[in-house]
Amino acid sequence: MSTAHVLLGLLAGGPRHGYDLKRAHDERLPQAKPLAYGQVYSTLGRLERDGFVEQSGQEQEGGPERTAYTLTDSGRERLAQWLTEIEPPAPYVTSTLFAKVVVALLAADADRARDYLAAQRSAHMTRLRELTAVKSAPGATVGDVVAADYAIGHLDADLRWLQTTLARVADLQKEVTA
Amino acid sequence: MTAPLLTGTGITKDYGATPALRGVDLSVAEGEIVAVTGPSGCGKSTLLHCLAGILRADHGSVVFRDQNIGMWSEAARSRLRRSEFGVLFQFGQMVPELTAAENVALPLLLAGSGRREAREAALAWLDRFGVADVADQMPGAMSGGQQQRCAVARAMVTRPRVLFADEPTGALDQLNGEQVMQAIVRAVREEGTAVVLVTHEAPVAAYADREIVLRDGAVDPTGLGVGAP
Amino acid sequence: MRAATLIRLSTAGNRTDTLRTVLTAISAALATTAMLAAATVAAIRGGEPVDQPDGSNWLAPGAEHYTSPLLREPGLRLGVIFGLLLLTLPVLALAGQCIRLGAPARDRRLAAIRLAGATPGQAVLIAVAETIAASILGSAAGFGLYLAVRQALHAPGPDGRLRLPTDMFPTPMSLAVAVVAVPVLSGLIGLLLMRGVAVTPLGVVRRQRRHGPRPWPGLAIAVGIVLFNVPVWLSERMVLSSYVFGALMLLGTVLVMIGVVVGTGWISYTAGRLLHRFGRGPVTLLAGRRMMADPWNGSRTLGALLGAAVIGGAAMGYHALFVSQGRAEDQFGVLIGMPADPEHAAFYVNSARLVLVAVGVGVAVSAAGMLVALAESVVARRRTNAALTAAGTPGRALAGTLLWQTLAPLVPALGLAVVSGLVLVRSIYHEVTVGGGTTETCTDPAADLETCARTVVTDPVVTLPVPVPWEQLALLTGGTILAMTVVAGIGMLVLRSSTDLEEIRAA
Repeated sequence: MSTAHVLLGLLAGGPRHGYDLKRAHDERLPQAKPLAYGQVYSTLGRLERDGFVEQSGQEQEGGPERTAYTLTDSGRERLAQWLTEIEPPAPYVTSTLFAKVVVALLAADADRARDYLAAQRSAHMTRLRELTAVKSAPGATVGDVVAADYAIGHLDADLRWLQTTLARVADLQKEVTA
Repeated sequence: MTAPLLTGTGITKDYGATPALRGVDLSVAEGEIVAVTGPSGCGKSTLLHCLAGILRADHGSVVFRDQNIGMWSEAARSRLRRSEFGVLFQFGQMVPELTAAENVALPLLLAGSGRREAREAALAWLDRFGVADVADQMPGAMSGGQQQRCAVARAMVTRPRVLFADEPTGALDQLNGEQVMQAIVRAVREEGTAVVLVTHEAPVAAYADREIVLRDGAVDPTGLGVGAP
Repeated sequence: MRAATLIRLSTAGNRTDTLRTVLTAISAALATTAMLAAATVAAIRGGEPVDQPDGSNWLAPGAEHYTSPLLREPGLRLGVIFGLLLLTLPVLALAGQCIRLGAPARDRRLAAIRLAGATPGQAVLIAVAETIAASILGSAAGFGLYLAVRQALHAPGPDGRLRLPTDMFPTPMSLAVAVVAVPVLSGLIGLLLMRGVAVTPLGVVRRQRRHGPRPWPGLAIAVGIVLFNVPVWLSERMVLSSYVFGALMLLGTVLVMIGVVVGTGWISYTAGRLLHRFGRGPVTLLAGRRMMADPWNGSRTLGALLGAAVIGGAAMGYHALFVSQGRAEDQFGVLIGMPADPEHAAFYVNSARLVLVAVGVGVAVSAAGMLVALAESVVARRRTNAALTAAGTPGRALAGTLLWQTLAPLVPALGLAVVSGLVLVRSIYHEVTVGGGTTETCTDPAADLETCARTVVTDPVVTLPVPVPWEQLALLTGGTILAMTVVAGIGMLVLRSSTDLEEIRAA
């Protein structure tokens, strides 16, 4: 995911400083990996270098001095361009899950692959239950629900794959070890 | 842990020569949601029917509140299903000639309630599931999601202790399925109703507190529900 | 669409379709046989009084070799023809109503044919063609049956006299009409029944009407009764051909039957509404709602039965009339010192009784059709019923619903049918009068009639009211209700097997 574009998007509403950006990011994208401060500042630095954002002033409220950033015209253009761009629909399968099954068959046997798949399914189900609990909780916001749904959809896809792959482990083994 | 509300022990059921269940153990505590999952034909619906007293198991026992309901007559089990159990299917359970409110009121009427109080209770439940606006419509005029929410209202109107749901979202798209599941879970949590939820979809099973995976009529401890070919 | 395609498509079907075809064919065969019998009687000539030049008259030859006066006397022959044609009406109704039978499976097939590109007209044509094809088969079978029965019953007595007109054959014209009429009429009835049905590529739907049925068919009944009276009224004032007389009465009867059958929609709807409003338990709620949801179900499935009941009512009216007539003649005979011929009265009574027996057969035939229709409606609802059973609805409640649904429209509709039939006859004859004529007799026994002293003797008058045949009314209505209760009972057996949970699982 492009953190830079998310920051550009957050700045579209008006100037913000780094700490504010981090907070807005974590709030708007729940269930995503929280943003580190260092990453915020290094990204802002790169965006400023490329002319997408510029410093718009300093502010000091009893704490450390904070620099506010604002979107430039070319930044606005870049953002609009990103929003219309289509993301390539995953051209390569790079899942660790898939790799592990193949390697288990190469390095060990079908039972090993099956054991792994069973353990993985159990872990996936646990996470699925957690996410379902998050979105079913009484105070859940729409953002929480949408974020949880995104993750649930992916976990569900994994689970379906786990299930069907299990039925094919023996055939896969023949092919892999042939 | 509290004593189980409903316990199935060694449930065995054959359809002719085909074994559907081969000694399944399952217990459900008060207010607990248990998902029964597994591939098609693994016997999960049959298990639900046996636990709900709709089918009689060939061997094994089904104990509800210290009573072996497997030994009861069909009439006694019918009364039990009407009062203590609620049932919910994939679709097609609404009587097409009755309005939503009448459909929901039906179990109360069968139990001997008066028309007015049954209707009031039905309206209250329809309101709880956000379908009060279709109360006087026939099922044919409603969307699938509305029909299913009315069906949940009908299953819950008698305030059952156990709700048996067989693929309750199976005929719905994802969003409608979501809403129905949310409605079920919210209602059963408020009422303290236990649920036996049969599904083959992991996101639906994730609403449960616990999951039992069946494979070829038996509980699969690996949880994979798929055997080695 | 080529004829071959039409035939292929209209005969593609499963077991229920076969059953429908067989039932259609059987009823068509029965109707054809009855019509051919009528045509045979119509072919008999003779028995009419022919005026001779010398002032006397004698009976035209041709019919004297029949044992039964029903065949010997031209006036009675007309009655027989009329009776036989009346009997074909309920059977024809049965042939037509068969088109809605076995509907779920056929409806799916029709929808699939539409999906494959057939126009709505073609789909209806296919459905109607099936009925017509079955009727043609039945007609042919009926013709064969007629020939066989004719052969089998041809048994001249030792004196060469015949009990039945097995020596006569219908005229070519009436033969053609009898054989062709049944397929044409059942096709027309079928077309009429398919009018309210839209065959879409996604399924067959009955067009929803905004209003429930209205009681207008009551008008048809009233007009029919008036029409039935018209020939009697006219014949007192002018010379009326006996065929016009019979045709007007037949038309009146047909109108009454249509009124009763169509009016059943309103009866069913109203009964449903009353059940829904005033019923207490879930059984009346379900039954009432189901009757309101499809009020025409009664018209479709009970048509033949109600038709038979109208004829039954009319036959009872005639029966009561003939009995009264006989009693009046007896009393008259006592008054003038001449014992009446007991056989004469018994003959008419027996004729009317024969019609009642035929009506009984009609009721039985339509009960069979009703059973199939009922079983089918149960099967069509199997999913809902299975789900209700799973939810703890006792079988008793579902069976009760079925019973209510069957009997609640039947009882009032049957009452209406029988009473309408009875009123047809009673509107003309509510009392019988015998005697009252005047005779001139010679007071001098030896003298010649031309010259003797004469005296005018006025016969006594015996006027008897025709009683309402309550007993027979009760018997016919009760018997029919009993038959339908048995039918509903068998339907409940079907219900038991259709609440199987497999029905819910099959998605």
